[in-house]
Amino acid sequence: MNVEPLDAAAAQDHLEMVNRILAESHQRLCNGGEYFVVWGIGSAYITVLAQLVHGGLLPSATTWSLPIVIAVCAAFSIVRARQTRRVLQRSSLLQREFFNVLWLTLGLAFVVDVAVFNIFPGLASAAIWSVAEAIVLLYIGMHGNRRAQVAGVLVIVSLVVANFASPGIAGYVLGAGMLVGYAGFGASELLARE
Amino acid sequence: MDELLLSKVRLGVVAELLNFDWIAFSELARSLDVSNGNLGAHLSKLVDAAYVEEEKSFANRRPLSRYRLTKRGRAAFASHVAELQSLLKVTS
Repeated sequence: MNVEPLDAAAAQDHLEMVNRILAESHQRLCNGGEYFVVWGIGSAYITVLAQLVHGGLLPSATTWSLPIVIAVCAAFSIVRARQTRRVLQRSSLLQREFFNVLWLTLGLAFVVDVAVFNIFPGLASAAIWSVAEAIVLLYIGMHGNRRAQVAGVLVIVSLVVANFASPGIAGYVLGAGMLVGYAGFGASELLARE
Repeated sequence: MDELLLSKVRLGVVAELLNFDWIAFSELARSLDVSNGNLGAHLSKLVDAAYVEEEKSFANRRPLSRYRLTKRGRAAFASHVAELQSLLKVTS
């Protein structure tokens, strides 16, 4: 390849261009507010329903809706992820890392719910979801998203409050944390995007 | 110095791709403010040198070409930038 060697001025020019591009390439970490809304509402629904059934306010037959809710949330996430991947003009490495954390934590919480329910029975399995959601939110918060920091703290607070609340309302407290913290964060991201 | 990256457009392409998983052709052309033909020619060279990976698909019935940096491209960029910096140090 015949190319003219660079002089100092050209090298300076090239480096300035590189620095400018790298400075501009920073992108917001989270552009998937809809996932948070769907999973936040889904997990809150499951937790509150379990509390209502446990308290005798609803018949246990209503739990048939739980696998359907999980299936709907999972199906939405898969379809949306494939759709987004196809049309996204840019996807950052940070975003990919963030989605890996999201799928890993929620996937592990799902496995715990389905396969470790003897060790984490009842409210404990709901609390596992709160822990997973808090990890995702605080991870995003660590990268400078103030709303995620606040939402993560809200989910943690709901966990602590649920721990000290009477067993009759602990599920509602966890559900509120999921709804306000997780789904609320997603809604705020969607509003900020628009 | 890496001869392939002595071109400002190709160096710009690699710098654009550095922090991203994938970037679409149209987005690269917009960011670098170069014509489609010019960018296409430079991208072909980067793809041939295995500095950049190309993926062709369809989105909303329109063809979509996306690009991402390979490990080889990342290493070449790092060493090229280091050499540019050392050239400036020597001459200053």
